[in-house]
Amino acid sequence: MVSQTQTRVLTCIQCGKCTGSCPEAGRTPFNIRMLVRKKQFQSVVEESIPWYCTSCGACTLRCPRDVKPSEMIIEMRSALVENGAIPAAIQKALENTFVQKNPWGRSRAKRGAWFEKLDIEVPHISETESKRLLFTCCIQAYDPRCMVIPQNVATILTKGGVEFGVLGEEEACCGNEIRRVGESGLFEELQEENKAAFEEYGVKEIIALSPHCMNALKKEYGDLGIKIVHYTEVLAAMIKEGSIVPKGSFNKKVIYHDPCFLGKQNGIFDEPRSILNAIEGLEPLEFSRSRENSMCCEGGGGRMFFEVEATYQRNAEVRVQEAVEKEAEVIATSCPFCVMTLEDPATEKGITVKELSEILMEVL
Amino acid sequence: MSYALIVAEVRRGVFEERNLDAIGLCALMEKDISLLVTDSTYAMNEKLVNTIIKIKLEEALFLNPLNMVGVVKTVMDFSGKPDVIVFTHSSSGTELASYVAGYFNLPLITDVNGFDKERGVFYKSYYSDKIFGEFKQTGQGPFVITVRSGSFKEYAVEKVSSPIDETIEGIPIAEGRSFVEYVEEEKAEIDITKAEFLLSVGRGIGNKDEIPDYEELADLLKATLSGSRPVIDKMWLPKARQVGTSGKTVKPKVYLAMGISGAFQHIAGMKDSDCIIAVNKDPEAPIFQYAHFGIIADIHKVRNKLKDILKG
Amino acid sequence: MNILVFTKRVPATQEEELRIIDEGQGIDLSKVPFKVNDWDNYAVEEAVQIAEKTGGSATAISIGDAESDEVLRRAIAMGTKDGFLIETEQILHDPNARATLIFNFLKKEGTPYDAIFTGVQSEDDQFGAVGGILAAKLGLPFVSMVISIDAFESDHVIVRRELEGGLQERVRVMLPCVISIQTGINEPRYVSIMGVRKASKVERKIFKAADYQENLVSKIEAVKWVYPPKKGGATILSGELEGVCKDLLGILKEKGVYQ
Repeated sequence: MVSQTQTRVLTCIQCGKCTGSCPEAGRTPFNIRMLVRKKQFQSVVEESIPWYCTSCGACTLRCPRDVKPSEMIIEMRSALVENGAIPAAIQKALENTFVQKNPWGRSRAKRGAWFEKLDIEVPHISETESKRLLFTCCIQAYDPRCMVIPQNVATILTKGGVEFGVLGEEEACCGNEIRRVGESGLFEELQEENKAAFEEYGVKEIIALSPHCMNALKKEYGDLGIKIVHYTEVLAAMIKEGSIVPKGSFNKKVIYHDPCFLGKQNGIFDEPRSILNAIEGLEPLEFSRSRENSMCCEGGGGRMFFEVEATYQRNAEVRVQEAVEKEAEVIATSCPFCVMTLEDPATEKGITVKELSEILMEVL
Repeated sequence: MSYALIVAEVRRGVFEERNLDAIGLCALMEKDISLLVTDSTYAMNEKLVNTIIKIKLEEALFLNPLNMVGVVKTVMDFSGKPDVIVFTHSSSGTELASYVAGYFNLPLITDVNGFDKERGVFYKSYYSDKIFGEFKQTGQGPFVITVRSGSFKEYAVEKVSSPIDETIEGIPIAEGRSFVEYVEEEKAEIDITKAEFLLSVGRGIGNKDEIPDYEELADLLKATLSGSRPVIDKMWLPKARQVGTSGKTVKPKVYLAMGISGAFQHIAGMKDSDCIIAVNKDPEAPIFQYAHFGIIADIHKVRNKLKDILKG
Repeated sequence: MNILVFTKRVPATQEEELRIIDEGQGIDLSKVPFKVNDWDNYAVEEAVQIAEKTGGSATAISIGDAESDEVLRRAIAMGTKDGFLIETEQILHDPNARATLIFNFLKKEGTPYDAIFTGVQSEDDQFGAVGGILAAKLGLPFVSMVISIDAFESDHVIVRRELEGGLQERVRVMLPCVISIQTGINEPRYVSIMGVRKASKVERKIFKAADYQENLVSKIEAVKWVYPPKKGGATILSGELEGVCKDLLGILKEKGVYQ
C-alpha cells in the first residue's frame, strides 16, 4: 500500500516520456514533466493545475525511473484538500460521498433501485452460496443511462447460471476517484466500510462492473483474500465455455475504446474484444490509438465531477471524430465514465455509444 | 375585541403582492383585519381590510425589527391584543416576526401554507416540503405567524367599501440598528445561483446564432440566461452560466428549461428549483419527469411567440 | 471579536422519500444519514474568518444528542477555538423553546461574546426564527439574511442583508448583536476527514440541557405529520401555441418572477 503511493520525484531525469503520453499535454496548461520538476525544486504550483489530471496512469506506466507522476498529482491534490481550498464541484462530490456514500449525493437507501424492476431475482450476498458479489459502482446504481449496465450483466449472469449477490444499500463508493482527488482519509473510511461488509458476509469473489471500482478493490484495498475480476473477464469465459451463446447477429461496424482503468492500468484488453468477436455479423474496428496507447476519454481522476476550463477540443470529440472517419457505426466500451464522456459528442455526429453488455443483450 | 393584525411590507414604494396572502389567511380565519403599514405612497386595494393603521415611520425604519416592537406595543395598547399577528414569509417578514415573538414572549409559526378552519391547525413545511406539520398554539397568544407567498391570496376578498383609517406617530426609533442604503445586485458579475428566474437553454437550440434571440427573450422576461453542458462546452455561453453537477447547482423560483433533455448531471443541478417548466419537442425527454409544467413543442416557435406577446 | 456560532446536526433528507409512522406522530429517519445544517456551515465559516481577521476567537455551540458532537468536531476543524454541546435527547420543535434554552445557557454560564451567529434557518424544520427570538430575549439588535459583512468596528458592524428580487439592504448594527447568516456569504472550506480527526483531539465541553430549563415551555404543539398534497408529474400545457405561451406567462406571474 505504502510503496504504491510513494513517489520518487527526485529520481526524475526529465526525459519527458510522461508528457509525451499525457492526454492533457499540449492542449492545456498541464505539463506533467514540468510539474515533477517543480516538485523537485519545491516551487509553487498554481492551484488549478493539478485538477487537469485524469488519472489515466499513462505517465506512471511509461516512466523509465518509476517516478509515479500520477501519484505525485494525488499528493499535490491532498495538500489542497487538507487546506480546504478545492474546486466547488469537487468539494460537493466529497461532501456527498461522506454523507450518502456516493459522489452524486443520491440517497444511499436507493442504491439497490436498479434491480427492483428486473424480471430476475437479485439476491442479497448473504443469501448466496457462492458468496460471489456483484459490485455495482455509484454511477451505475443511480444514473439512468448507466443503470442498464448492472441490469444487463445481472441478467446475463443469471442466464448463464452464474450465482451472485449484491450488497444493495450496504455498498459504499469504492473510493477509487476519491483517493485520486486527494481525499485519502475519506478513501480509508469507504474502504473500511466496504471491507467490513465483505467480511461480514464472507465474500469470496467480487465481480466489479466498473473498471474504476475493480482497480481500487484489486490494488488499493490491501490483501483481501478475495478474487477480484471485471465482468468482461467473466462473460468472456462464459462465452468460451458455452454457458452463454450469442445467437443473434449484430451487423454493424463496431470500434472498441479501451478504458484506461481496464486496459492500460490493468491489462484487460483481450476479454472485451473476444466478446465482440464472438458476435455474428459484428465487424470489429480498432482506433489508431488502442490497447496500451488508448486515448483517455478524460472521465477519470475526479473529472466526472469537475470540469476544467475547456477551451480545447475534448479527447472524447477527437475519439468520436476518428470513429466517424473509420466509418464505425457503434463505439463500444466497457466503462461507465467512458460511456458518459463519449456519448455527448457521438450523439452529435449521429453515431451510437454502447456499453459491451448492451450489445451482448441484443444478441443473446 | 377579536381581530387580526397584519404587518404589511412596502418596499421602495411597492405594496408587495405577498401581503395578499397574509390578508387571505386572516379572511379564511374570519377575523376583522387591521393592516399595519408605513405611511407613504403605494397602491393597494384598501377594501380588503377593515382598518388601515398608518405608522409615521419611513419604510426602512418601519421594517426594522427593533422599531417594530414599539409599533406593535403601541397598537396593542391602543386597540387591545389581536388574536394573531401576521407577517409575510420573506426576508423582512421572518426577521420582524421572530423578533416580535421573542420580545413579547409569544408563540410563533413561520412559513404557514395551510389552515384547517374546523380543527384550528396550521400547516407548515418540514424537510423542504416533503412533510407538512400540523401545528396548534399552546402558549398564550397572540399567535405570531408568517405566511408563505402564494398560499392564501385567493381568499383575500373585499370586505368593506372603505376601511377605517388610523395614524400612529411618535414611535421611538431604536439606535441598535439603522438603515444605510439599498444596494442593487451588480449585474456585471452574474451569479446564476442567486437568480430567482433562470431561462436555461440546451443543445436543442441548435447553434450559436440562436443565442442572441434567447438573450433577448431572457431580457424581456427579466430572467437570467443559463445553459446545460453542451451549450457551455461549445462556448455558446460562458462557463459561469453552466447548470449541472460540473457547473453550478441552482434553486431558483422558476427554472424554465428550453431544449434541455435532462441528463442526470443536469437534473442534479436544478431539480430543487421551486417550479420547473420544460419546453422540448421530445415528449420522452427525461426532463419532463422532473418538471412541474411541460410544453411539447419546437422551442424556437415558443420563443418567437413569447417574444411577440411580450413585445405586445 | 469573539463570536458564538450555533451549528446543528440535521438529517440529509433532500434525496430521501420520507415515511410518516406511528399514525402521524413520527417520521422514520432510521435510514437517513445526518449532516451539518447548510446555513450553519456558512455561519461557522464566517465566524472563523472574522475571528481570524479581528484577532478574536469563535466558539461553536450545538444543541442536540451526543451525535451532535460530529458538527462540533467539524466546526473545530474549520477553525473554531472550541465546541460546546448542550446535550438533550429531546427534539425541540418550538423555536421559542430552543431560544429560551440558549438564553438560559448564556445567562448561567456567562459566556462572553461580541456577536452571536446563527444560520438563517435549519434544513429540517425551516422555522428561521431562533436568532430573532434569542436576540429579542437578550435585548440585542438583530439582523437576518446577512449575505455580507462589509465592516466590523469595535462597537458596530456594517452588513448587507438579502431582500427579494436581487435587492439588498445595507444596515449598521451595534455590538453586541445577533446575526443570522444566509448561504452564499462565503465559500465554506472543505473539511477533510484528516482535519476532523485532528480536531477530535480538541476537547469539547458538554453541558446538560436539563440545567437550563427555566421558563422553558413549548408554546406550539406539533399535532401530527402529514404528506403534502401530491404534485404528480408535469402538467402538460397543450393547445394552440398562442394559448400555451399565454399559459406559460400566467405561471410566471403566479410564481412572482414576472409582472
